Amino acid sequence: MAAQLSFTGFAWKNLWRRRLRTLLTLGGITMGIGAFVALVGFSRAFEHEWLRLYTNAGTDIAVVETNFLNTSLNQSLGTKIRAVSEVERAEPMIFNLIDLTPDVNALVYGWEASSYELDSLTYLSGRRFADGKPEIIVGNLLADDLKKKAGDTLSIQGVVFTVTGVFHGGTALEDGAVIMPLDQMQAISSMEGKVTAFHVKLRPPPSGESYDNYVKRAERAIEAAVPGVHADPAADRAANNGLVSLAHSVAWGTSAIALLIGILGIANTMAMSVFERTREIGVLRALGWKGSHVILLILTEATALGLVGGLFGIAAGWGGLRLLAALPQTASVASASVSPVHLVESLLIAIASGVFAGAYPAWRGAHLSPVEALRYE
Amino acid sequence: MNSPILEARNLVKSYDDGRVQALRGVDTAIQAGEYVAITGPSGSGKSTLLHMLGGLDSPSEGKVLFRGSPLGNGADLDRFRSQQVGFIFQAFHLLPTLRAVENVQVAMLAVRQSGNHRAQRAAALLEEMGLKERMNHYPNELSAGERQRVAIARALANDPAILLADEPTGNLDSVNSAHIMEILRGIQQQRGMTLVIVTHELEIASRAPRHIRIRDGRIEA
Repeated sequence: MAAQLSFTGFAWKNLWRRRLRTLLTLGGITMGIGAFVALVGFSRAFEHEWLRLYTNAGTDIAVVETNFLNTSLNQSLGTKIRAVSEVERAEPMIFNLIDLTPDVNALVYGWEASSYELDSLTYLSGRRFADGKPEIIVGNLLADDLKKKAGDTLSIQGVVFTVTGVFHGGTALEDGAVIMPLDQMQAISSMEGKVTAFHVKLRPPPSGESYDNYVKRAERAIEAAVPGVHADPAADRAANNGLVSLAHSVAWGTSAIALLIGILGIANTMAMSVFERTREIGVLRALGWKGSHVILLILTEATALGLVGGLFGIAAGWGGLRLLAALPQTASVASASVSPVHLVESLLIAIASGVFAGAYPAWRGAHLSPVEALRYE
Repeated sequence: MNSPILEARNLVKSYDDGRVQALRGVDTAIQAGEYVAITGPSGSGKSTLLHMLGGLDSPSEGKVLFRGSPLGNGADLDRFRSQQVGFIFQAFHLLPTLRAVENVQVAMLAVRQSGNHRAQRAAALLEEMGLKERMNHYPNELSAGERQRVAIARALANDPAILLADEPTGNLDSVNSAHIMEILRGIQQQRGMTLVIVTHELEIASRAPRHIRIRDGRIEA
């Protein structure tokens, strides 16, 4: 039985003739896509956790100054926000990323003990803290990590706090966090009288008005009542707050560099391959192959490198995400899940990388003079 | 009288801004089914003429006509080569990563044919060349004579009207040379194909019914 030769089979044989080079090239694009899957997946999971944080508590709007990380509002503005007719509750809050031990840093929130934000927490042991006292409640993930339970103490920024309860919040951002009275947070952050944001819960929308319209109307009303603040829907704040933006920037930046290295690897491999196969390309042209056939062959090889590297990269990236979700330093903000959209996006980027990297070598191969290519030694 | 299958009219091929002239005005006509040998010393322009006739290169001046129509450029030349011409080279030019039967099929990848048809035709051609037992071997597992037979099968893959052979016995011993020439002559006679052979071996040239001699880029009288 005679073996059949297909176009893709021919491309595969060409790639496989230089196994080591092909495998090294695959390694490069695998790392690029792996970094993209892991880092961008991590930053998106981080954003998703923020959104869940808002929605779990029932927050509709976050009122901030300009930049969520550096925002500093007077706590007294709460009175004006609460006076807006659509607003049911407006809770002042502070949050920051603080080193709890040399190895563990965590999000620390300051809320008033009466805040509705605390109502969604389930206490696994102990009780809520009281305002005006050096008391904290600790998320269960962090409590496990720090080996703390209700009744223990924890030193934060030089102040010894008593752990009054351990809670489960439903999001990794809460379960890996510390929550303390707002006044205590203001004291250790030197922000007396200041807050980073107000979380606003709206009254139910009037019948006949859509939720989105209602939220937009409330935003305008708050911004009119308190000049100089931004009132953003919870979803926007989840996507645009400083920590998430920073995570997105670092993830995309790092991934882009890794992808660029992968693309350069493919481009180098294909350019070398075309160079080495100059005479063979001349033979193909002599056999009647059009320039477009040569382009298709080289692009098929480059795309195959991108596709296979992309599949390996997705596996590696998913493994990386699982690792991030398991590490104590990142477990509080990472999720091991990868959305199907992110996977498709990663695969498309891998394929596009192959096509992009193969474009010039393919063009060069197609424009070789058949006679000169046949004479090439 | 029918128009020639191939005709060269005042072919000039120059390189290096005209400082080197490989062909200096060649006129010749080859009839369908004819067996022609082109001879001449090294550098005389015989391979260049063969490349022009096969649409592998374009002349600097003059033109090549196929059945009375000038060869075009680009895609037209590609189509001409894939459908009308089979090339055979001195160095065989088989692709080292492909088995013999795959080397024959590679020529058919340029035209629309099913994979099954390609494989069957390649196998039949190799069987015709006496290589039935060797079709799944790679080029480095074949003798020089066997490689050239694979190359002939590849040249026949798309059932061309013209076979152009550039020193087809140049890398072969006398026994294999005779065998290859016997095969080419048989193909030309049985299929009524046009066969043009470039050679510097006068013994081979003398067996062709027609002999074109080239010297310094011109046909000798």
